[in-house]
Amino acid sequence: MRRLMVLVTMAAVLGMVSMAWAADIIKIGVVGPRTGPAAATGKAFEEGIAIALDHLNAKGGVLGKQVEVVFEDTGGVPEKAASAFEKLATRDKVPIVVGESHSSSALAEIEVANRYKVPFIICEAWHDDITKKNYKWVFRAGPVNSGVVDFYIAPFVKDNGFKKVAIVRENSDWGVGIAERTETNMKNFGIPFTTLKVERESKDFYTELTKIKAENPDIILAYIYGTGLHFFVSQANEVGLSPKCLILDGAGPPSLWDTFWKNVGKAGELELFMSSMHEKVHLTPTSRKFWDDYKKKYGKDPTDYKTRSIYNVVLIAADAIHRAKSTENEAIVAALEKTNLEVTTGIVKFGLKQGSYEYHQWMPPMLVVQWQDQKQVVVYPKDAATGSLKK
Amino acid sequence: MSEFLMYLTNGIVMGVIHAISAIGVSLIVGIMKVVNFAHGELYIFAGYFSYHLSISLGVPPLLAMPLSVFFIFLVGIGMERTLIRPTYGDEMYSLIITFVLSIVLQNAALLIFGPYPNKPPNLISGATNIFGLYHYGNQRLLSFFISIGILVFIFYLIKKTWFGKSIRAVSQDRGMASLVGVDHYRVNMLSFGLGAALAGTAGVVIAPIFPVTPTGSSAISLTAFVVVVLGGMGSLKGCVVGGLILGMMENLGAAYISTMYRQIFGFIILILVLVFRPWGLFGQKTQ
Amino acid sequence: MNVKKFWIPVVFIILAIFPPFFLSQYWLHVMIISLFYVMMASSWNLIAGFTGQVSFAHAAFSGIGAYVSGMLAVYLGLSPWLGILVGMGVAALLGLGLGYLCIRMGGIYLSLTTLGFSEILRIIITNEDRWTRGTMGLQVPGFFTEYSKASYYYLFLIIAILLLIVIYWIIHSEMGLTFRAVLNDELAASSSGINTIQVRILAFTISSAMAGLAGGLYGHYLMLITPDIPSLGQMFLVLAMAVIGGMGSFVGPILGSFLLEILSEYIRIYGEYHVLIFGLVALSVARFAPEGVIGILGKKWESVWAR
Repeated sequence: MRRLMVLVTMAAVLGMVSMAWAADIIKIGVVGPRTGPAAATGKAFEEGIAIALDHLNAKGGVLGKQVEVVFEDTGGVPEKAASAFEKLATRDKVPIVVGESHSSSALAEIEVANRYKVPFIICEAWHDDITKKNYKWVFRAGPVNSGVVDFYIAPFVKDNGFKKVAIVRENSDWGVGIAERTETNMKNFGIPFTTLKVERESKDFYTELTKIKAENPDIILAYIYGTGLHFFVSQANEVGLSPKCLILDGAGPPSLWDTFWKNVGKAGELELFMSSMHEKVHLTPTSRKFWDDYKKKYGKDPTDYKTRSIYNVVLIAADAIHRAKSTENEAIVAALEKTNLEVTTGIVKFGLKQGSYEYHQWMPPMLVVQWQDQKQVVVYPKDAATGSLKK
Repeated sequence: MSEFLMYLTNGIVMGVIHAISAIGVSLIVGIMKVVNFAHGELYIFAGYFSYHLSISLGVPPLLAMPLSVFFIFLVGIGMERTLIRPTYGDEMYSLIITFVLSIVLQNAALLIFGPYPNKPPNLISGATNIFGLYHYGNQRLLSFFISIGILVFIFYLIKKTWFGKSIRAVSQDRGMASLVGVDHYRVNMLSFGLGAALAGTAGVVIAPIFPVTPTGSSAISLTAFVVVVLGGMGSLKGCVVGGLILGMMENLGAAYISTMYRQIFGFIILILVLVFRPWGLFGQKTQ
Repeated sequence: MNVKKFWIPVVFIILAIFPPFFLSQYWLHVMIISLFYVMMASSWNLIAGFTGQVSFAHAAFSGIGAYVSGMLAVYLGLSPWLGILVGMGVAALLGLGLGYLCIRMGGIYLSLTTLGFSEILRIIITNEDRWTRGTMGLQVPGFFTEYSKASYYYLFLIIAILLLIVIYWIIHSEMGLTFRAVLNDELAASSSGINTIQVRILAFTISSAMAGLAGGLYGHYLMLITPDIPSLGQMFLVLAMAVIGGMGSFVGPILGSFLLEILSEYIRIYGEYHVLIFGLVALSVARFAPEGVIGILGKKWESVWAR
């Protein structure tokens, strides 16, 4: 019985503590995976949020109030994500939510956002449908599958004269979506391709790689996220497939994790990956500031570009509240639609024409980067290139 | 043709790797009738220890490996003393305890080591061209031979030494064993420790090929269970054959049936074996 | 049944009518999820606690209920009200089949077979994205045209109470006595002419059907069905709730579900630590108080309740 009393008291104290911080604070909700297979993204988000909050609060916050963040864990699981969003909307009553890196979670969350009429800015969930549903409350300041493929991956393949493409995709929402779009593009360009579907949790790719090798492609578009990509890249080298055949990591962050080079060794040389960040490419002064602030706080260069994406959307959210002069949902959406804000990746302006995924969508410019002597070299698009593609 | 030989080679190599990953589970089931769900986590912890000892503390890799294994051995002994000992004779209870423990350790690993995949340094790099037909990773071949060495050593330990004999005595008849002067508490503790150490050994030997992540642990336990059931619970010979069959099935299945379903083959054989031959291919029919 | 025993559940049921009048939307959501776990943990307890078989396929069966009902609604336009019954039926059939295959082996074999079954299901659901939408999840219609937490709360409450009545009735009927006989002494039970295998298969089938029903309800409440419903993570939660509440007791899993779901709301603020805390609580209860919170609260209360 005494144990029960202790439990009850603990619960009560916790409850009061969480109610104590209120009043002169504006709380922004964040959703993202802090546990589960993509917990690395949660880490990247935490860093980006910390820098954004330092930046905002040093200027005196928003509407004269300090800005705080409530970061709910989704575990990368859609129903947990919906539940997390629901909690932000009904318990914390946040005026706006930002974040997310899984399309599946985002698609669950936008339904909740729509139901509770809470503005929601997504930064790193790429599925077309998220903005294609044309929900009034949903915005995305980040890459979209069709955009990434149509404007970067497919033209990169075509412009560099690759003759045979192997598409390798994991069995996740992202893998399925981006691979289909790529197939459509390759058909249009008349570039022969072959698609191989792989298990997301596979460790051993020798058999898959042997099958690919038999097709003799000169580039592999690897739509595999996380640890799997490290396995894939190092094993492709072992079976003698790369670097004769290049590999493009369609997501990016796994190629930039601190552990990438330790895990893949020499096999990482000449690997390509998508990114929206490069130490030499600073499109805006904010980009420079972010880089310096990050270095000051963490004593190293930022690696995962998701750190910067979340930083961007926190700034966009704060800016919208500032211009709306209120935390009321309609006012915030109206302000968001008029956004004209410089962030690290350019000037954000959301699309307003309904009917396609471009509604409430703003896509930052992306880069195709290649590892050359363990240095990042931007090889595409041409106008941002810091070097040329090595084959 | 060279492709088929590649699938075959990889099937054998992966088979031995499966066997070494599963032998700790097999040993513990055989002696103590306890299915250790936390097996995969012990494997992961050993991989991380070996990584941190060699990379962060600068211990030579060849020393870091046995050190990590010894550490996991101690962890295993501690687990047996605090959690497993009260469950003897109650299969259900030990199952629940180790299952919950596996979740605890998995999340502890996430907090301690972070979410990123890590691996101890390769002992050897590059790949070998085999008979001019295909390339095969050197580290993978090395881990393959080390695993065979370890398997041989385990067989020797169990079949030929005093320790092995007392283990077998306890696993066959507890009452009889204590009559002839074998302290079965101590034997149980040591064999659980040994089982844990084998999980750790697999971890340090395989981690250079497949970096470890905290969430990767349940897949390791599941594969180990498939191998153990396939060969017959408690049969070491069965464990090796079970590993080889699984390795073959996965690689030939992925090559000629579906790459997307490579993981399902093992579970399908698991159920078929349980239905038609529940004592496994090499286990003893007791039920 | 004496008057006192009759009163306690009635009082609880009457009290359970009021939450929608004073709870916020958010806490009502917590209550609905808790009721889902009450159904899951109590029906799992029917096999694990009362016949001593640890099945790892319980979450898988809830997934079957959810996907069958959800896919019928999406592709054939079947009403979810009918769909959940079909889902329950399919779960019962598969439960019967799986039970028939592995009950006679019992123990570790049953646990590993159910584990294998649940993994096979997860892999198929993830890979057949054309039909199941894979990890993206299948968006399904809800039960009510007007979304209202209160309606869902009452729906879950009524079905949870119905399931609990069935469970209570089973464990106190002749069949329940047989269950316990099986648990306590298999040899004695079989020599007294009880067909232990049939009884266990029956219990397994009923329990799977209940999981299927609970899963169908859950899916149509969330309006989204993903491979996480039939996952081992979900299985862990159900198991932890039954263990913490107290296995082999009628009230234990009910208490455990509310306790853990509400507790998890408070420990959420610890972010990535919350699963770990959960696990540590479950581990210490399993190790030091194998009879769960109910055991701690004292056998006296339990005897009033469940005897």
